[in-house]
Amino acid sequence: MTRIKRGYIARRRRKKISLFASSFRGAHSRLTRTITQQRIRALVSAHRDRDRKKRDFRRLWITRINAVIRGMGVSYSYSRLIHNLYRKQLLLNRKILAQIAISNRNCLYMISNEIIK
Amino acid sequence: MAILCASTSAIFSSSSSSERSGFASLRKTIPSNQSSFLGFFPVLAFSKPSGVRTKTTLSFSKRDFRVCCQDLSLVPENQRWMFEESEADGPDIWNNTWYPKAKDHINTEKPWYVVDATDKILGRLASTIAVHIRGKNLATYTPSVDMGAFVIVVNAEKVAVSGKKRTQKLYRRHSGRPGGMTVETFNQLQQRIPERIIEHAVRGMLPKGRLGRALFNHLKVYKGPDHPHEAQKPVDLPIRDKRVQKQR
Repeated sequence: MTRIKRGYIARRRRKKISLFASSFRGAHSRLTRTITQQRIRALVSAHRDRDRKKRDFRRLWITRINAVIRGMGVSYSYSRLIHNLYRKQLLLNRKILAQIAISNRNCLYMISNEIIK
Repeated sequence: MAILCASTSAIFSSSSSSERSGFASLRKTIPSNQSSFLGFFPVLAFSKPSGVRTKTTLSFSKRDFRVCCQDLSLVPENQRWMFEESEADGPDIWNNTWYPKAKDHINTEKPWYVVDATDKILGRLASTIAVHIRGKNLATYTPSVDMGAFVIVVNAEKVAVSGKKRTQKLYRRHSGRPGGMTVETFNQLQQRIPERIIEHAVRGMLPKGRLGRALFNHLKVYKGPDHPHEAQKPVDLPIRDKRVQKQR
C-alpha cells in the first residue's frame, strides 16, 4: 500500500469548530479537544434554553404583574386579575401587562378597576 | 399602545386599539357584541363602558405582529393620530422585556425602611422583610439584579414567637470538626446575641447564592430602639400581614 499522509483534512474540520468557540474563555477557545467538547455543550445549552426562554420570560412577567397588582388593595392578586381578564374576554397577554405595569402603572390600575366590575 | 394614558377616556381607546392591532387576525371564536372600530375616535366624547372587546380586521392586520408602535413609517396615514410622536424613535418597549440599566439600581437611591420588632411574630415579620429586600413588591423586579430596598430592624430583642418556641426552638451550628455541633434554644440565643435571631430568619428566606448573600447585607438589625441610619431618612415598613402582631 502506498503511504498516505492525512494532510490538512483534520485541520480544516477543526478550524470550523474552533471558529464557533472563538469567544470562549481560556482553554475553551485554545485547545482543540476542549473546543469540540465545549462546542457540543454550548449547542446543547442553546437548544434546551430556547424552550426554557419562553418559560422563564412568562414567569418573570407573572411575577412583575403580581407585584404591582398586590399593591392595589387587600386580597387582590394576580390570579384574580387573570380570572377577571378571562371573564371580560380581554386579550392582553402577560408580556404586555408587565410592560404596562412598568411603564405606566396607573394604566394598569385603570384596566384592572374596569374588569373587576 | 403608545398613547400616554392621561385620562380615562384615553385609556379605553388606547387599550382597545392596542389589543385589536395585536390580535386582529386570531380571535375568530369569541362571541361578542359588535363594537366596530371606527376610523376616527372623537376622544373627548368617547365613553364606552368596558365590555367584551372584539377583534376587527384592520387595514394593517397582516403586519401587526411585526409593527412596533415606535416605527411610524409603517402606520397608514389615517391611523397616525393614535401614536405619540414623542415615543416614535425610542426603544421598543412592546417587543423587549424591560431589563434594568445601571442607573435603575444605584444603592444610594434605594428606599430605606425601618420596622420595630416589638411583639411581632418572628416568621411573619421576616417574610415581609425578605420580600422588600428582594424587591418582589416592585414592578421592576428582576431575579438577577438587586432591585430591593434596605430594611432596618430595631428592638430586635423584643421579637415574639408563638407557642412554646421560646424554650423549644433550637438553633444549631456546626464548626466543621467532629463533635462540633452547638445547639441553643431561642431563649439562650436571645440572651446572647438577639440580632442573630432575626438575621437567621431573614437569611433563610432570601435566595441562597451570590446575589442572596449581597441582599442579606441590606438588612440592618439593632438591639435597642435607635439606629445609626437617620441620614438615610428611613420610612416605616408597610406590613400587609394581619397576623404579624402578637395577640396579648
